[in-house]
Amino acid sequence: MNRKFLYLTKVSLRKKFKTKWFVITNIILAVAIILLLNINSIVSFFGGDFDNKTSIIVVDNDTDSYTLFEKNIESYASSLNDEDMKITVKKTDKTSKELKDDLKDDEILVELTSDNTEYLKAKVTSNEKIDTLTYQVISQSLNSTKTTIGMAINNIDATTLNNISSPVTIDRVVLNEDNNVDENMGLIMSSVFPTIILPFFMLTMILIQMVGGEICEEKTTRSMEIIISNVSPKQHLMSKILASNIFVIVQGLLLVVYTVIGLLISTNMLSSGMSLPSEVTSIFDSLVSSGFIEKLIYVIPLTLILIVLSFLAYSIVAGILASMTVNMEDFSQLQTPLVFISLGGYYLAMMAGMFNGSLLIRILSYVPFLSSFVSPSLYMMGEIGLIDIVISIVILVLFIYLILHFGIKVYKVGILNYSNEKVWSKFFKAFKSKDV
Amino acid sequence: MLKVKNIVKYYGNNKAVDNLSFEVKNGEIFGLLGENGAGKTTTFRIIMGLIESNSGEVLLDGKKIDYNLTDKIGFVTEERSLLTKLTVLEQLKFYGVLKGLDERTIEKDIDKWLERFEISSYKNRKIKELSKGNQQKIQFISAIINHPKLLILDEPFTGLDPINVKMMKDAIYELQKEGTSIIFSSHQMEYIEDFCEKLVILVKGHPVVSGALKQIKEDFGIKNIMLRGEDLPIDKIKTVKGVLGISKVRGEIEVKIEDKSVAPKIFSLIKNCNITKYDVVEPTLNEIFIAKVGGIHE
Repeated sequence: MNRKFLYLTKVSLRKKFKTKWFVITNIILAVAIILLLNINSIVSFFGGDFDNKTSIIVVDNDTDSYTLFEKNIESYASSLNDEDMKITVKKTDKTSKELKDDLKDDEILVELTSDNTEYLKAKVTSNEKIDTLTYQVISQSLNSTKTTIGMAINNIDATTLNNISSPVTIDRVVLNEDNNVDENMGLIMSSVFPTIILPFFMLTMILIQMVGGEICEEKTTRSMEIIISNVSPKQHLMSKILASNIFVIVQGLLLVVYTVIGLLISTNMLSSGMSLPSEVTSIFDSLVSSGFIEKLIYVIPLTLILIVLSFLAYSIVAGILASMTVNMEDFSQLQTPLVFISLGGYYLAMMAGMFNGSLLIRILSYVPFLSSFVSPSLYMMGEIGLIDIVISIVILVLFIYLILHFGIKVYKVGILNYSNEKVWSKFFKAFKSKDV
Repeated sequence: MLKVKNIVKYYGNNKAVDNLSFEVKNGEIFGLLGENGAGKTTTFRIIMGLIESNSGEVLLDGKKIDYNLTDKIGFVTEERSLLTKLTVLEQLKFYGVLKGLDERTIEKDIDKWLERFEISSYKNRKIKELSKGNQQKIQFISAIINHPKLLILDEPFTGLDPINVKMMKDAIYELQKEGTSIIFSSHQMEYIEDFCEKLVILVKGHPVVSGALKQIKEDFGIKNIMLRGEDLPIDKIKTVKGVLGISKVRGEIEVKIEDKSVAPKIFSLIKNCNITKYDVVEPTLNEIFIAKVGGIHE
């Protein structure tokens, strides 16, 4: 490769990496990601009363169901695997009026009654609002107790009840193998996938800014004339693109490293007794059961190719746009459509889950700039197959060839143009010219 | 040697350079003059290979200028073309490597030049922290760090005080002695008169005056007679055929005459007056420039 091209790339990379801001930004990013992934442990570390001790006082008004209720409470509470949750149940002979007068904040009063229509009724009293999990334990235990009472009264054995109440077994068959996917994937896509592609969106923004900013700087300082008299415009543009792409890829990898470190710290904490929030584990469980993780492994190589090619396409266009501007303010304005296109891709990827089968979204999944956001998400939902992602890649490669072929003509004219007069006319002329 | 042969450049329907030809021999300093927008920058860009002319050709030592040959050209642009976030050392290395030098060679030369221009202490300072004059020195060093065969100087003395102008002039003369062909452009005509033996004046891209400075002044015809004395018959002088005008310049009377044949008539009128100065001088380049460029505008 040409020595001057490599040198231009090296200088451009040095300008990006060898700055205090790169170091400071990455320290902040690393700390933020690690903290976010360990937020549960950190909050616990700083102390506070996390022991969810609750005392349930039961007044049994002649239902004889206390023992059963107590067993159910203990059984449900233990099945939750929440070490912070400690529920004790005790029966009392005091009247509810006496109990209400002296009821403490961590006490819940449950009055069990029954009548001719309902085998079991309950009145639940507390000073404050009861947390969701504790309320669920009480509610489920009451329902189970009622069911057991009902079974005894109506002579229904456990097997019969199980046969009645167990959910219908659905044998789900999808004839098109490519679309063999869980129907819940749409919901997962709208909640999980945006989180996965957010770093890609952010890196795209950085890339556009970086390529355009550097070209604009060289242009406004007039050093462009000296540079271009020694290297061709094509080499100049390619050096900026290469340097900026290397930068965002390295930055992306660093984000992955920070995430892995965060997860490793989190795992170590888990093994020493702390736990991930139940919401996170339940999302992860549903991802595994829906086959999301398995599909992700298949789609990752193709997605990476799409991402790298999209980075290339975005940076080429950003470079060409920057060459057309005469100052930083003009470039900031001219890059806005590019930012919105990228944002559109991000939203389309999120909306794909809500509009299953949308022909428009499917067509847009082939469109360069959008395909890297939309294609993988449609594949994950089973709306398109791997072949469609390959088609998106081919279209993107062709698009890159075309923007390079025609764009370099505009770039060559643009970098030496310092006037806003008849700017579009100049570029259309350059676009149509045969000279490269 | 640089040869510019009949170059024509259009921007749309506008003819920016119209059939321009000149030669700059090795060790020669050539002046390229013209008002703003006359086509000087376009000419420089064509010579540097930044843009292509519609017709004509530019040859350096008999070869068409390409990216291999631009390594042998130094260019000081009218506006400062420095990357202000770089340090002096980084900037000089950057342009040096782009001109085909290796970093070690550049590092050796840098100290010598910085010392010569008395800016060694700024070596690791950022360009943006330097004064305009010092930035101009850096720009000049970056243009000559490759010991160019052709040096293009577009307003090289901008922002420099007389001491630094002299410093830079000495460096330019040194390069001239080494055989560098130099194209010099400035709106300050005294610099052109100082430096250039040959020049071309462009008006709307077209060369209206070209050749050796001495010959240009000779061909211009108009001369000036500088008079100092008492009781000078100004009114009589005005009536002499061939006198174009009389004005006061720094306490002296300047009589503009059509050609040198008018001078004896003026002398005969004043010879009996108490005169302390009578000098027939060549017109200044400034006068020629105004007459030629202004005349076309009129």
